Amino acid sequence: MGGFYINWSGELAAFFAFAVVMIVGAVLMLTLTKVVHMVVSLAAVFLGLGGMFVVLEAEFVAFVQVLIYAGAVTILMIFGIMMTHHQAVQHEPARPVHEIVSAVAAILLFGILFYAIRTTEFEPSAPPLQAGVDNAMEIGKQLYTQHVIPFELVSVLLTVAFIGAIVIAKKEAE
Amino acid sequence: MATVYSQYAWLVPVFPLAAFLILTAFGRGMKQAGAIVAALGSFGALALSALVLIEHLGGADEYNDSFNWIEIGGYALTAGFDVTNLTALMMVVVSLVAFLVNVYSIGYMKDDERITVFFGYVALFTFSMLGLVLADNLLTLYIFWELVGVCSFLLIGFWYQKPEAKAAAKKAFIVTRIGDVGLLIALLLLFWYMPDHDLSFAAIENVFGQTGLITEGITTLIAILIFVGAVGKSGQFPLHVWLPDAMEGPTPISALIHAATMVAAGVFLVARTFPIFEASQAALDTVAWVGAFTAIFAASIALAQNDIKRILAYSTVSQLGYMMMAIGLGSVTAGMFHLFTHAFFKALLFLGAGSVIHAVHTQNIHEMGGLGRTMKTTAWTFAVGALALAGIPPLSGFWSKDAILAEALHANPALFVVGIAAALLTAFYMSRLFFLVFAGNPKSGGEAHESPASMTAPLVVLAVLAVVSGFVEMPFGGTGWLGEWLTGHAAEHEGTALVMLISTAVGLLGIYLGWLIYVKGAISRDVVTSRAPWLTRLLERKYYIDEIYHAVFTVSLRAIGRAFDAFDRHVVGGAVRLAGGAAVWTGRAATRMQSGQLQSYGLYVVIGLVILVAAIAGRRFW
Amino acid sequence: MLSSYLTMAAILFCIGLYGALSKRNAVIVLMSVELMLNAVNLNLVAFSKYGVVPSLAGQIFSLFTISVAAAEVAVGVAILIALFRARGAVNVDEFNEMRR
Repeated sequence: MGGFYINWSGELAAFFAFAVVMIVGAVLMLTLTKVVHMVVSLAAVFLGLGGMFVVLEAEFVAFVQVLIYAGAVTILMIFGIMMTHHQAVQHEPARPVHEIVSAVAAILLFGILFYAIRTTEFEPSAPPLQAGVDNAMEIGKQLYTQHVIPFELVSVLLTVAFIGAIVIAKKEAE
Repeated sequence: MATVYSQYAWLVPVFPLAAFLILTAFGRGMKQAGAIVAALGSFGALALSALVLIEHLGGADEYNDSFNWIEIGGYALTAGFDVTNLTALMMVVVSLVAFLVNVYSIGYMKDDERITVFFGYVALFTFSMLGLVLADNLLTLYIFWELVGVCSFLLIGFWYQKPEAKAAAKKAFIVTRIGDVGLLIALLLLFWYMPDHDLSFAAIENVFGQTGLITEGITTLIAILIFVGAVGKSGQFPLHVWLPDAMEGPTPISALIHAATMVAAGVFLVARTFPIFEASQAALDTVAWVGAFTAIFAASIALAQNDIKRILAYSTVSQLGYMMMAIGLGSVTAGMFHLFTHAFFKALLFLGAGSVIHAVHTQNIHEMGGLGRTMKTTAWTFAVGALALAGIPPLSGFWSKDAILAEALHANPALFVVGIAAALLTAFYMSRLFFLVFAGNPKSGGEAHESPASMTAPLVVLAVLAVVSGFVEMPFGGTGWLGEWLTGHAAEHEGTALVMLISTAVGLLGIYLGWLIYVKGAISRDVVTSRAPWLTRLLERKYYIDEIYHAVFTVSLRAIGRAFDAFDRHVVGGAVRLAGGAAVWTGRAATRMQSGQLQSYGLYVVIGLVILVAAIAGRRFW
Repeated sequence: MLSSYLTMAAILFCIGLYGALSKRNAVIVLMSVELMLNAVNLNLVAFSKYGVVPSLAGQIFSLFTISVAAAEVAVGVAILIALFRARGAVNVDEFNEMRR
């Protein structure tokens, strides 16, 4: 894709819509003062991302995204905020040098990535993926045959994680 | 005749060297034994060198032995010893005077704590001087030349608690160093120009004996530079300033080093390298005129000095000027003859002065008087020495000074006049000295008793030598053999009757004047001082030469030194401190990076990543 | 199309990076890290459809990253709760014991 000639299509329109939602959400997340508002805008980002997965014909991933991220992770964040009793309003003593330098570093990184994206020739060796009617079925087929070992390992990981979280967050026995 | 002893001539310096090593190693505990060791060392040297001399007097051939010392590339540096008639004679002179001084010092330095150190230094000096005499090439001679300078420094500054002694030692070393630089440059030039880079005296004689091998300009340059070295060591004008100050050292070494031997090394050097001088008339003239000027210059200063040792020091400078003048006139014989006789009577005079100082504990002649009554031996031997110096027949000084004056008359009458004038001054100041010290009434009032036998015995021996040593070269046909024996040709003998007459008359005139002024009182002592005080002051202050040197050289050199010191401290030191400070500053800056702040670390990672990627990806642009 | 998705992901990633580096509250930092992980997921899915070798593996891989991210958030919040109990506040710049 080059030049400024934009080929309007439905996909592109949807992409832009969700893109706007995500970017606004992300920026708001950084600039709002109340922490709970920050979490809400983050949730908006997750939802926007879910929509974008749908546009990419990855319905199962979109579903999981909304379920896990916009659901569980956001709630976890809110729990974390509640339990750490911070002040409702985030007062930050200014660290101007640090913030400016990190902003510059982030912008530079974006510049590099953008440059790389623009100059790389992505020659697809095959036409875009036809995910088929039933995305979940296809994923399930692949997941339980080719990728079953990582699947099992991830389940172990999740078990360890939640046990660990319980242990760490437990109140000390009196 | 067989050279039985000559091949062992290298042992002669080894005796005093062994004495030096023993005294340095074990000196602490052996006050009495130390004197014996030192005396034995010098006696061994004396005995062996006497044997060698006797052998050569009988007509033995020259003997040379050397070994390869260092081999660099294709060039081999040799070191060895030469036993010629000249070196045999010098060896005996040096070891004899050294032995007598050793015996004398047993009495003179009896109460000194560091007496074994003193004997050690004297032994080291004897070793160095004998090595210098025996050296067969110029490099070896230079090494011993420097060593002799070091010993002189050590001995002048022997009583180092006195600041004047320290200053005098430094002055002696530095001033002779100036001369030594000239010698070193001459050495390098010779190394450059001599075929096969051979620096031995035999090779020098060969090469410079033939005309045209080395250009006249270079020859003159080399000769002048060698003479510069001799000027430094022998205290000729303008490098004479160290010799009077060197009188801060103990009197025995004033006798040994600064009268008989070390200062004669300059004359010896010129004699050894005479073929170079012979090849360049300009160099010979320089030597002759510098010598003559020094002779009369120093004699004039001696007229107004009040310290007994300083008078004798200037006298030494003056007599060395005579020797240089003789060699400059082309007669090595006359120069070496005067060196030979001068060694004995000057050593005698110094040791006698030491005896006087030992008795009255002062060196100012105006505080002495009438010592002739109580110190008979000293007075008589001193008189012999003074008469020899003044050139009164039949003492040795007469014959040797005559030889020089005869050469002068024959070759360059102007120099003859200068020589005669200096002789007059010499006679006068010696008689002034003698009469003020030994005649008249005692001043101090204290009991000045004669010195012990260990001090008077050497005086007697030297007095005898001062009388007889002149008879080896006498201008009456057939009896003079020193010249023939020494250098292969005899000294000049024409016109000697006239010279003998004039020099004797001048000597007697000087003594008579002295007697008139200082004994009879017929002419007032202040006749010059009252009419022309500036003259007296000029002479007394040594023509202000020391002050001129100080103003011209010392002040400016010290300023330069201070400038360099400031440069060193601020610029160089500042750069060093800057480097250190930069390292510390960098370290401190880096410490701030380890704040423990996680987000700072993360920021550094991102920045590093950006830089890395930009560097690698950006390569396509350069 | 692919490059627009990739650009979008890059934007999200850099915004998340800035938040992670400059926010003081540890919970906000965690949120920014989640944002970065989401950007990675977007990349994976976009490559799965439009990439050089389109296959379903990208989507499956993104499932795994979602799981791991969820686990990480759980543990992270647990740690923050424990830290809060010890210190009383969860400001990132107070935890600087890694200084020496």
